[in-house]
Amino acid sequence: MTVGKGHIELAGIYKRFGEVTAVDGVNLHIPDGAYCCFLGPSGCGKTTILRMIAGHEDPTGGEILIGGEDVVGLPPVARRTAMMFQSYALFPHLSVRENVAFPLRVRGQGQAERFRAADEMLEKVRLSELAHRLPGHLSGGQQQRVALARAAITQPRVLLLDEPLSALDEQLRIQMRTELRRMQRELGITFVHVTHTQMEAIALADLVVVMEKGKIKQAGDAREIYSRPHDRYVAEFLGGQNVLSGKATGAQGGNVTVGLQGAAGLCVTLEPGRRVALGEPVDLAVRRDDIILRRPEAGAVPEGWSALNTRIKAIEYQGLFVKVMLDAVGEGEFVAYVAERDFFSDPMQMGDIVVASWVAERSLLLA
Amino acid sequence: MRARPISPEQRARLRRAAAGAPRRPWTFWVLAILFGAYVLALYGPMLCIYVLSLQDIRGGLVFPMKGLSLHWFVDLFTQVRTGDVKGGFQRSISLALLVTVLTVVGSFLAGLAFRQRFKGDGVVFYLMIGSLVAPGLVLGIGIGLLFQYLGLPPSWYTSALGAHLSWTLPFGVLVMFAVMSRFDRSWEEAARDLGATRWQSIWLVVVPILAPGLLAVALFGFTLSYDEFARTLQTSGSLNTLPLEIWSMTLNVTSPSLYALGTVTTIASFLIIGMCLGGIALIQRRRARHNPSV
Amino acid sequence: MAARANTLAWFYISPLVLVLVPFFVLPILVVVIASFMESDGFGGMIPHLTLANYAAVFGAELTLRLYASTMKFALLTWIFTLGIGFWIAYFLVFHVRNQLLAIGLFLLCTIPFWTSNIIRMISWIPLLGKNGLVNSSLMGVGLIHQPLEFLLFSDFAVVVAYVHQLTIFMIVPIFNAMARIDKRTIEAALDAGASRYEIMRYIVVPLSKNGIALGSIFVLSIVMGDFFVVKVMSGGGSASIVSALFEDIAVLQYPSAAAAAVVLLLAVVVMISLILRTVDVRKEIAR
Repeated sequence: MTVGKGHIELAGIYKRFGEVTAVDGVNLHIPDGAYCCFLGPSGCGKTTILRMIAGHEDPTGGEILIGGEDVVGLPPVARRTAMMFQSYALFPHLSVRENVAFPLRVRGQGQAERFRAADEMLEKVRLSELAHRLPGHLSGGQQQRVALARAAITQPRVLLLDEPLSALDEQLRIQMRTELRRMQRELGITFVHVTHTQMEAIALADLVVVMEKGKIKQAGDAREIYSRPHDRYVAEFLGGQNVLSGKATGAQGGNVTVGLQGAAGLCVTLEPGRRVALGEPVDLAVRRDDIILRRPEAGAVPEGWSALNTRIKAIEYQGLFVKVMLDAVGEGEFVAYVAERDFFSDPMQMGDIVVASWVAERSLLLA
Repeated sequence: MRARPISPEQRARLRRAAAGAPRRPWTFWVLAILFGAYVLALYGPMLCIYVLSLQDIRGGLVFPMKGLSLHWFVDLFTQVRTGDVKGGFQRSISLALLVTVLTVVGSFLAGLAFRQRFKGDGVVFYLMIGSLVAPGLVLGIGIGLLFQYLGLPPSWYTSALGAHLSWTLPFGVLVMFAVMSRFDRSWEEAARDLGATRWQSIWLVVVPILAPGLLAVALFGFTLSYDEFARTLQTSGSLNTLPLEIWSMTLNVTSPSLYALGTVTTIASFLIIGMCLGGIALIQRRRARHNPSV
Repeated sequence: MAARANTLAWFYISPLVLVLVPFFVLPILVVVIASFMESDGFGGMIPHLTLANYAAVFGAELTLRLYASTMKFALLTWIFTLGIGFWIAYFLVFHVRNQLLAIGLFLLCTIPFWTSNIIRMISWIPLLGKNGLVNSSLMGVGLIHQPLEFLLFSDFAVVVAYVHQLTIFMIVPIFNAMARIDKRTIEAALDAGASRYEIMRYIVVPLSKNGIALGSIFVLSIVMGDFFVVKVMSGGGSASIVSALFEDIAVLQYPSAAAAAVVLLLAVVVMISLILRTVDVRKEIAR
């Protein structure tokens, strides 16, 4: 089997620091030319994986293949990867152009030649006019573009980005996000990006990898991860879902009824191949924007809908929609996102008793 | 930011801060006076001897000034009883420069080593502290006896050089610790990642970034060596360094030529240090000017 | 990987080790060995093991007096250098608001360090001497009628010279430690209602502890190892441990000097390790 030059395969890698296991048996394929995001809270092992791909750490066990060859033990240069550091690690004593030309300089290229290449690269990141500045005199966004240009100038097959946007303020972060994606398309190489911000991951990535405690919880494209989370952890980390805990109380065809404390059974579709025993505790996920709030006097919910009686705890106006916080059922939050126009056509008040309802088919049974 | 009730006191402080001229507490003035007195005590006596060294032949060791001439400077370099000042001076400068170079290189490398734990690091560290605090004369005696035992003739460029390094290197390493603590490891990692070899990353990235710290180590090394006395006494062999010359002068010279010597050595060390600093400033300016894109 | 890191570290550390072994470890060993030998009275040693040198050191009443006098100098110098050095560093770090000015003033304190210690010592003669500036001006305003004799060539002069030379060794490490204190912690303490005394007691002093320890190590080890300031500034009136040792060497009594040196070394080591127990200097410096 031939694979693209930027194809990455992690085969059972793990990493221990003394007693602590930072990465605990990770298997993953990242296709050539993909934009892959590792997503997880700090300490989940995502940065360690990145540093092992880069060659700044050696795995305690397992294989790392880039373009089909095992790179474990090779120095960073030989892997033809490039890393963009969280703090950018721009050399403070070198100008922007010298920073970008640095990788060519250490490869023995002459000054004229490497400066020409650096200038071309600077044009790509739209920094030509700042070529002679020192990094200390640049804004955060400009520094980031210099770091990107410096990492990309050797035409690596993989570009590794360690929390590249965390040092920027909110607005700039969204702007640079677009920039990163544009650069990735332009360069046509694999990007591996580590972040703890779910919005960043789903906005950018072809492949999102959600991690917890050194293990992969779920890997897939952004839409799949967001709308079909595999378990409670992923659902809660990505947000946008309500997770309700209950017990399986009955089954009917491909459907299960989930009983919640103080509520009628909620119907949810079983995925093919999934079995649930009666009485087994299960988690059920409903997207916050799938929930429709009705007043109790409006009558029964239609066929095929699930409903819960609850009370409004708080209301937050968000601009595009209204966030309505409802009395939780069991642990965790229970929230409805109501479109602004719908909400204000019949505004509800804090403390109102409401029926939260949704199309049963759209709810998910979590692992 | 959350709004918070502001106490009248805080409001007064904020207003003062906004006005740009906050009131100074009384301790400021007390400490300012202490600082002034300290600086005066630091410089006053030295200025006295510089002035007194300019007396004429009638001059004595105390004020008032008697005349104004360079008599004692001439006396310093012509009189036999004052010993070999010129030779001592040359040896001290050469030794100090040698010590400076070795101290900078040795401290820099040790600083790199001490960034991580390694087998035996504690032993080396405590040996270093030991070498720093060992009484200079005792160490000098030991080195002298060792050379005697090995049949090596002690001289300023062997035994005294080692004796100086045993004192300047630990000092330099301590300074490097402080310097290194401000060095971001990711610079080095980035250099390696971008394809630099270990030596390229040290030479092109670590050294230029740490240059001011290395300069501090160099200044320390130079002054500590140029002025070193106790460790040199038993290790310099038959030819004296300048502090040893001055020492023997203090024992048998009681004329203002002693002060003249003080003036000369001060001027010399200021010249050398000034030249170093000036040279570095020049290099930096040239580097900035030669910045290819300007 | 770990083995490679060790090899590399040892490569980097080797110049330091190559200096420390022949110029610190071996010489100290030689001194220790010499302290167990007999002198032939002409600068040579007879390789015959004896404890007589130690017996002489511990038996002599002089030893006690030397240690008492040296400890007195060390203690006085430590108190004054710490008192002055701490407040000067505090002034520079916390009271001088313009950082450039603070660094300028700091350099002003270090410049005299670039000149010879001996010269700086001699420079007290025109001030403190019998006919020096201090005496003549005091007599001029009529405060005294006889010149004060204790000003020069006395214990007083010794302490003055020590403090003059060594305060900088306190200022530098304390300045360094204080400069690293995050100013926001002090603002936070002010907001929490702490008085200026409490800020001093609970924030500034604990956080400059490492600087104080390091400065104390410098000052105490230098004073305990000194013979030269004592000799010059006391005019031969006072002695220190090392100045007595120096006299032994002058008459080529190496073994007895070596025994005294070993005892002194032990004393210094004990003192420094007591200080080192209060702070992990290495960790604190490398922080």
